[in-house]
Amino acid sequence: MKENILIKINELIEEKKINEAQFELSKLGPEFLENSEYLYLRSKVFCFNKLYYLAIDMLLIASEFKQSDKIYNLIAEIYNILGNKELSKKLLDSNLRWTTINSLKDEMSGIYRK
Amino acid sequence: MIKLFWNTHNQNKPTSNDPTGKAARDYARDYKWGLYHKNNSDRWIYEALYKIQFKVIQSEKDIEKDDILIIVDSSIEKKGNFYAKLSLVCSKIFLIHLGDENDLYDLTSIYDNFDFVWRTFCLNKYFYNKKVSCLPIGYKSGVSIVKNKGERKYKWAFIGTSHKSSRHDLLFQLSDMKLSFIHRTTKFDEKIITVDEMNKVLSLTEFIPCPNGFVHPETYRIYEALECGCIPIVENAYKYYDRLFPGNPFLKIDKWAEARSIIQRWESEQISQKREECKIWWTRYKDNLKKFISDKINL
Repeated sequence: MKENILIKINELIEEKKINEAQFELSKLGPEFLENSEYLYLRSKVFCFNKLYYLAIDMLLIASEFKQSDKIYNLIAEIYNILGNKELSKKLLDSNLRWTTINSLKDEMSGIYRK
Repeated sequence: MIKLFWNTHNQNKPTSNDPTGKAARDYARDYKWGLYHKNNSDRWIYEALYKIQFKVIQSEKDIEKDDILIIVDSSIEKKGNFYAKLSLVCSKIFLIHLGDENDLYDLTSIYDNFDFVWRTFCLNKYFYNKKVSCLPIGYKSGVSIVKNKGERKYKWAFIGTSHKSSRHDLLFQLSDMKLSFIHRTTKFDEKIITVDEMNKVLSLTEFIPCPNGFVHPETYRIYEALECGCIPIVENAYKYYDRLFPGNPFLKIDKWAEARSIIQRWESEQISQKREECKIWWTRYKDNLKKFISDKINL
């Protein structure tokens, strides 16, 4: 059930129906707050709305719940947009991404850590 | 008579029946924040109330029948009964609600005790509310411009905690741009510089990047920048500042690399013009705010 809703929201985002996706996401309750796919989709919507920092913060939280390539790739894509090419490159490197993400979290306070 | 009662440092004490200790912890937290608001926001609130003649009272015992009461308070979710009692005595009662960055409670029934409410940390539901108006969180008490002769030596300054990704990127993007002043703290309100030191630094700085706060976009930083004649550069998330202050002159960015290019490229004439624009806007905004508050209370 949970997965079906998230698949539908992902389709809306892929079709660039961002407002509809945002509306669907806003209907989901607190039981999704530790769901990495939900956090990933919210980050994608933030990204479309140029809310880059909210997107990164949320992706860093998502990575606490699941180690997933698409999470790292989206963080890398955002850092590329922000102009931090070196960090973006490290995050795209599968050998470096895990240590990079952890040192990033260590450098900034205020991000949820499990 | 109009009376002002600052009540943020008076919080409901826990009863003896507190088996988990939660009530005692909540009380300690609310008391600490209440003192924080009193120590840091009194000058701003008194400035906002400048056009009103009032008597400051220390206790609710000083309230007499038919007084008009302005109460400044925080952690109000637990004080509904207290306000209901006061509203029976006073001819009019107004609330200045400080804090509440997290918006954890439905405050409708609490606000219903008042003739009008001003609250900090604006939220969507209060932008066009007839009974509740948004009040900027303002500057910390003691912040004011130090008159300098000559140019401002710092291009930009950041004083505060580098939490979350925005502030991290801000420091990444701007740190090599000289001349700057950076004072990073590891925790909110810890190892901060003195107000006098801050006044000196801000009064010597052209641009102040104002990243969003931990929960809410607003921080003291933006108002301290304005008080000290700096140009605030704010994040444009949800167009918050355009909704709070339509027609404001702040510089707005989606990513801090944009601020870098502004700080690097702007010539001194353009900077002077923008600083003047911000100064005039802030003076007018504060004048209008004082008039609005005075009109509401004296109506």
